[in-house]
Amino acid sequence: MYQPNSKIRNHYNNISSWLENMTSKVILEKNAEAETHFRNIGITFSTNNENTRERIIPFDLIPRIFTNSEWSKLEKGVIQRAKALNAFLSDIYNQGEIVKANIIPKEIIYKKNSFEPAMVGFIPPRGIYSPIVGIDLIRTDTNSYFVLEDNCRTPSGVSYMLENREIMMRMFPDLFLMNRVTPIDNYPTRLLQTLMSLAPEKCENEEPVVVLFTPGPLNSAYYEHSFLSDQMGIEMVESTDLFVEGEFLYMKTVDGPKKVDVVYRRIDDEFLDPLCFNPQSVIGVPGIMDVYRTGGVNICSAPGSGIADDKAIYIYVPKMIEFYLGEQPILDNVETWNCENNDDLKYVVDNIANLVVKEVDGSGGYGMLIGPKSSKLEIDNFKQKLSSNPNGYIAQPLLDLSFTPTLIRNQVEGRRVDLRPFCLIGEKAQLSSGGLTRVAMSEGSFVVNSSQGGGVKDTWVLAE
Amino acid sequence: MLSRTAEYLYWISRYMERAETTARLLDVGYRLSLFPSTKGYNNEWESVLASSGAIDKYKIKYDQIIQKHVEDFLFFDEDNPSSVYNCILNARNNALVVRTSFTPDSWLAINKAYQEILKFKNNKYVSSDLPNLTEWTIEQVNLFRGTISSLLRNDGYNFLFLGLFVERADNSARLLDVKYFVLLPKPEYIGGNIDNMQWSILLRSLSSFRAFRWAYNGEITATKIADFLILNDNCPRSLSFCIQNIVSHLINLKCSPPKVEKIYNSLKDLNATIQQEKIENIVEYGLHEFVSKFITKISSVDADIHREFFN
Repeated sequence: MYQPNSKIRNHYNNISSWLENMTSKVILEKNAEAETHFRNIGITFSTNNENTRERIIPFDLIPRIFTNSEWSKLEKGVIQRAKALNAFLSDIYNQGEIVKANIIPKEIIYKKNSFEPAMVGFIPPRGIYSPIVGIDLIRTDTNSYFVLEDNCRTPSGVSYMLENREIMMRMFPDLFLMNRVTPIDNYPTRLLQTLMSLAPEKCENEEPVVVLFTPGPLNSAYYEHSFLSDQMGIEMVESTDLFVEGEFLYMKTVDGPKKVDVVYRRIDDEFLDPLCFNPQSVIGVPGIMDVYRTGGVNICSAPGSGIADDKAIYIYVPKMIEFYLGEQPILDNVETWNCENNDDLKYVVDNIANLVVKEVDGSGGYGMLIGPKSSKLEIDNFKQKLSSNPNGYIAQPLLDLSFTPTLIRNQVEGRRVDLRPFCLIGEKAQLSSGGLTRVAMSEGSFVVNSSQGGGVKDTWVLAE
Repeated sequence: MLSRTAEYLYWISRYMERAETTARLLDVGYRLSLFPSTKGYNNEWESVLASSGAIDKYKIKYDQIIQKHVEDFLFFDEDNPSSVYNCILNARNNALVVRTSFTPDSWLAINKAYQEILKFKNNKYVSSDLPNLTEWTIEQVNLFRGTISSLLRNDGYNFLFLGLFVERADNSARLLDVKYFVLLPKPEYIGGNIDNMQWSILLRSLSSFRAFRWAYNGEITATKIADFLILNDNCPRSLSFCIQNIVSHLINLKCSPPKVEKIYNSLKDLNATIQQEKIENIVEYGLHEFVSKFITKISSVDADIHREFFN
């Protein structure tokens, strides 16, 4: 919100005066109102903790604001990246040009668990592997954005993006009269259009039938599953609702079996089909992969998409963009050392106190070391883990994530944030006009993950 | 519509309807506990437990039938499948899964009820709160019914109302079954106070106390009450009303006409009997037998619906 010289950035002027006029009593009331609202609509996420099985993510009243020109640069950069990641998937499961060209070493790709042998030589209907890509971005100074992570499997959080806006519009309608905020409520419609555009050629239904496939109510993102299927007006199905007969996938309805054309799955590859992947899976559909491979149904995202958002592959995304699209990357990567390489490993061990070291397969902000924030003992312990399994780690410098004003006990304080906008790729590629801003709620923290107490904010893109 | 969705919708309204019945029974028990009787105070709690069908489970847990325990058991107890808490919890768990199949308002009505009853459950409460709790429950159920009345008239709507009327038919019949002796013509009781009190229990627990006065003039008799609760088409809790509504929501289903017809055929006789029967004949034939047969029939209709649509 502030410039380096402590002046308020222009597009935050309205918000700043609005904040000054709010008494702490009103802030308290509004906070309580937001919390009640989130509980009532049931926007909770599940944790493993028995006592707090349904938790609310802390919601911060102060929106994060992007100007139109800031956003259009991000938009181009994210779309570019999402296209390159899809091109990469299509390439490695087929010709493998990028390996032949010696741009990415083949063992980095083909030895990974997230590489799916069942997909080799198969191109999904309409050629799109990952139609919904979530890119996690951070800002370090006024104009520098970096990509922290790509999410090509089933990125979650878009329901928060939409619900955060709903609650803000409900509680502070005046703000939306003072600021011209680009609406985001067309996202579910666009998502449905995208999914429908990916129906296989064998689709016989007049309008392609799309379903959302959820593992069930115990999944941490279950709210999002039901929210999205509601918003799209499609069925949310579990494994018991689906079955394979002949060349097609059907769902059990009160009218009898109904053919399904596109499955928007929010279930991991491993559990999709016990006949093809994990035979223990009871939440999958036996035979769905056969139907998929013979063009009877589309599965979005394609099994095996996860290889594209692997932390070891991340390093090569800028090169992918040049290789597949012939363009210069618009968004930069964070400098990353891959501990698989001896030179990199040596650098990381020598400089570990200044670096963030992450597990390649880790997520949710667990299993990482933030060098500058850790004790000597913690660092030594981590060094041991690192040297025993260097392939499992990457390291990055500790970036100074941008601060955004956040209400902490009725006071405005700076907290670190990141951003996840959602990119849709079907017949056309488009970016949500906003995204999910996650905020590290404790002072000095760099961890924005909601599983570790991170909060969320409404994210505005101002209209021109 | 998914078979599972239809099943969940059907059960959501069954649970909500049951929550109301349990709350009304508690309300009746509470009122009576305040009236003096020859033995000190009235103890209707046993018949309240029997009416709610929970007496066996209660006796596993408690030796004595006392107000505090009955209240706990019927309102909050997780071991009692028909407790208000369990009904709302189950309705809410179902709603969580099928919230995409009805309006956001319906979800909100159920989820708010759940959030609030969680709070009540965690707070200590005293018996004098009971009227507030029962009133609150009835309000929540009314709110829910209000929201489903603005649904799109599709199969989901009909499954919701099928559930509602199957549950209501069952609840009304069970209540009659437990209290049938009250309505039998026994010369020694006629006109006595005890009768009036028992009659009012019946009518109040079916939320029909005032409605009865409107519907029948003159002297209150057991026969009139039986007629009202069994055969009167204008009484929304009567067996006749429930059956008619089951039939109409059934034939409004747009999915698979052969399945609808199958169930309709098995219901036809019951519907015809209840439309043409005279209350005097029922009393003569045996009120208890009539009601028992009715309960069996309703549970076979329920089984038919499950078999044809939810599998």
